[in-house]
Amino acid sequence: MYGFHGRLLHVDLNTGGNSWLDLEQSRLRAFLGGVGLGTSLLYDFAPPGVEPFSPANPLIFTSAPLVGTGLTTTAKYAVVTKSPLTGFIADSLSSSFFALELKRIGLDALVITGQAASAAYVCISDEKVEIRDGSRLWGKSPSESESMIRSELKDPAARVAAIGPAGENRVRFATISNEGRHAGRGGVGAVMGSKNLKAVALRGRCGVSVADPQGVEEIAEIVRRRSLGPVTDKYRNIGTVANLAVFNRLGTLPTRNFQQSTFEHAEALSGESLTENNFSRRHGCASCTIRCERLFKSLSRDQQRLEYETLFALGPLCGIEEPEVVLQAAHLCDLYGLDTISTGGTLAWAMECAEKGLLAEANDFGLRFGKAEALLAIIPTIAGRSGLGALLAEGSRRAAAEIGGETMHWAMHVKGLELPGYEPRSLKTMALGLAVSPRGACHNRSGAYEVDFSGQVDRLSADPGRGALVVASENFAAVLDSLIICKFLRKCFTDFYAEAAELFSKVTGWPSSSMELHRIGERIHTLKKLFNVREGWQPEDDWLPARVLDETLPTGVVQGVGLTAGELREMIQAYYQAREWDENGFIPEKKLKELGISTMQNENCKM
Amino acid sequence: MMRELERINRDGIIADAAAIILSGGKSSRMGQPKALLIFDGEPLILHIVRKLQSLFTDVVVVAAPGEQFVELSSLLCSQPDQPNELSELKKPNKPKVKLVRDEVAHQGPVGGIYYGLRAAGREVAFVTSCDVPFLNLALIFYLTSQISNHDVVVPHWQGRFQPLHAVYRRTVAPLLKEQLERGELRPIYLYGKVRTCEIPEEEIRRFDPEGLSFLNMNSPEDYEAALTRWEEKRLQGLGPDSQLSAFSSKPSREGSVSCTVELFGVARLLAKTTEVSLSLAHGATLSDVYSALAERLPILVGRVITPDAGNLSSGYACNVNGIDFVRNSNVKVNPGDRIFIISADAGG
Ligand code: SF4
Repeated sequence: MYGFHGRLLHVDLNTGGNSWLDLEQSRLRAFLGGVGLGTSLLYDFAPPGVEPFSPANPLIFTSAPLVGTGLTTTAKYAVVTKSPLTGFIADSLSSSFFALELKRIGLDALVITGQAASAAYVCISDEKVEIRDGSRLWGKSPSESESMIRSELKDPAARVAAIGPAGENRVRFATISNEGRHAGRGGVGAVMGSKNLKAVALRGRCGVSVADPQGVEEIAEIVRRRSLGPVTDKYRNIGTVANLAVFNRLGTLPTRNFQQSTFEHAEALSGESLTENNFSRRHGCASCTIRCERLFKSLSRDQQRLEYETLFALGPLCGIEEPEVVLQAAHLCDLYGLDTISTGGTLAWAMECAEKGLLAEANDFGLRFGKAEALLAIIPTIAGRSGLGALLAEGSRRAAAEIGGETMHWAMHVKGLELPGYEPRSLKTMALGLAVSPRGACHNRSGAYEVDFSGQVDRLSADPGRGALVVASENFAAVLDSLIICKFLRKCFTDFYAEAAELFSKVTGWPSSSMELHRIGERIHTLKKLFNVREGWQPEDDWLPARVLDETLPTGVVQGVGLTAGELREMIQAYYQAREWDENGFIPEKKLKELGISTMQNENCKM
Repeated sequence: MMRELERINRDGIIADAAAIILSGGKSSRMGQPKALLIFDGEPLILHIVRKLQSLFTDVVVVAAPGEQFVELSSLLCSQPDQPNELSELKKPNKPKVKLVRDEVAHQGPVGGIYYGLRAAGREVAFVTSCDVPFLNLALIFYLTSQISNHDVVVPHWQGRFQPLHAVYRRTVAPLLKEQLERGELRPIYLYGKVRTCEIPEEEIRRFDPEGLSFLNMNSPEDYEAALTRWEEKRLQGLGPDSQLSAFSSKPSREGSVSCTVELFGVARLLAKTTEVSLSLAHGATLSDVYSALAERLPILVGRVITPDAGNLSSGYACNVNGIDFVRNSNVKVNPGDRIFIISADAGG
């Protein structure tokens, strides 16, 4: 087999045993790798209705056909599991050398079930699988764990993905981290912690073979050259932090828990100012020519990675105006292994509660919007689940349910996942994308905001035409996330599906077409939804937080702009229609058959 | 001098002048082709071409025959030259340049200048080599503006002529050909025979105090040092050539539409300003805004604004008044409009 290895490794932490299982070509062809393959395996490995923290909930790491082919931006892997934050699918991507090593192990997926009797880490060296004592690592940060494991294994080339204390303590938005990057959203790190699993260490020597090496090389070279052109200028020269100043000006920068969409101190936090005042180093994932990562210096540290989402969530969303504080808070999140978006989102909810006198415990910290010391003091308590931190470690939805009353009105989540830095009221296509996403409020599993920024629609008004646009965006993302190609490369293709199909054919030797990839995108997305339906999804889960529908935006060029429940309902209906689902959002059997899902899942269950 | 510059820079780009980049020299000490040395993730030649395109409509690259020609052609030319190209693909990000062969290899700079002038077909041409990372647009602009009563404009820096950072009139081509035939391979032989304007060091220092424009690279050590310098410059403001803006700003035109351009991201860092006010003729379109902006901030040309200054490059988008994203550059500008120039990709 080319591009794939055709097998998975199943590690059972209950017994300490493991088994290598064949992966059928039909499944790989139908779901590719990454998120697609992970979803397909989750559907089969997770017992219906499984509790996210149950040992039976599988934690699945997947590789993908393009990993290791030399194509720029493809050193990525996916982690898929049932999310403790949403109760639905969590599919999270991370990247760099761990991803390359995963493929070099000679597998397409690593499925971990069970729970180790005590703190452990899994070490896989080619065919050899060991479950090792992880007690020394417990309490350590992910990066410290990485280096400790390398020295314990006496192998500086071993690659490690680890959780921090937040994952150990089952903080529902804990991450899995490798080389400073995170599989960030949905609490995959908490699932890992619930298995008493601190880390996965890899060392592989299995090469990747592709069907047409010269053909792949030629395409890789063309894409590489394009990746250095003007379409990636932003990522290469400033990084994603460039979003902040322009989002502020466009009234799409969520501020003080989505009470406003502009921030009066945005210039001080802008990517442009950070570049001028705090720039330390440019960095990138392995095998990437774009190298969008930026490390900034603060008073306390020489280098701190910062992305737009972290900047927005720990900055304007919490009313914080000092770059120094945001950089320190980002560092704490990295250290403990916390998703910065959910951390900022949950804290912003708590700040608003505190300002309105509804969260007495917050007074001990002086927690208010813009209070730097409080922000920095409370992050460690979330990771340690101590005091107020124990409540916040549950995420904004559960915390608001616990406090109750009007605080639920401003818990800014969809399906339990906190909203990213794209204001839905002033980006109407994005509003729909956020409402219907199987992962919860997510800016990655569809890029619906791209439609709003493209000029092909009026971003401030809602209309049913957005249904089909969101469908297209989700299917596109599903293909990107399953091949896997970084979304920041997306504008380097002139006809993505045709070009990706040609590439896929040259990698796998399976003649493919643009039509086939379109279908695969739809199939993957549909299976995510099918998983959610199986796990109890109801139509009311596809909805936006009350604040978005009840309050208009008070400032900036979008002053007075809102989104009504009627408008949202109409867009959601149009979306279901475009998906050919029923009017309540359930998937008709006919659709599943058409996509070949029922047949395949039955076959898979035999495994 | 301002009047002279304005006359030449009527359209933000020097009229009837070309730029010629000589890439045919040997790279023996370097161990790899100098044109392909990587700066900021891209071969140096691409940086040089882009930079010169913000001043000259035509850019000619003279390459040695053989392997180097093929390599440069795949890097620079928009014609598909690889049979295995992805089907349906255009090559979007290639600069528009004319690539010509140095017909007889290793005739030195005289051969290169001669073939370049012949291919350029413009009245005058600025000539440079392919291994100079720190070209200074303000200086080049000044040198070109001095050609009116001369055949050659050549800087004199630290006791030496800089023939590969000089401006030549096309009429000297026959003389260069004769030199080639006689084996006089140094351009300096030409200077005594034609109207040569020598630019003294103190004049050069006004634009380029350290003479970085003449810093070329011959060894891996030179390359290392240049990379460090490049990074320093980048940190100081994304590029060494922002000097030009001081010389190209013109008094606002008489017009009835005033608007303000707000710059974000890379555009802001390059321009070192957050906004620019423009006054345009009645009926002006976004395309006119881009041209006027290119004139005011030439540093944006080839990067944020297309080389013809009529549109935004593919990585950039325009939003009017914070509300409408406008892709059509023929849309009319209204008085008081605020035009945002932002990245076309909003991923974060
Ligand atoms: S563009 Fe950025 S996120 Fe994507 S692969 Fe490259 S460095 Fe990683």
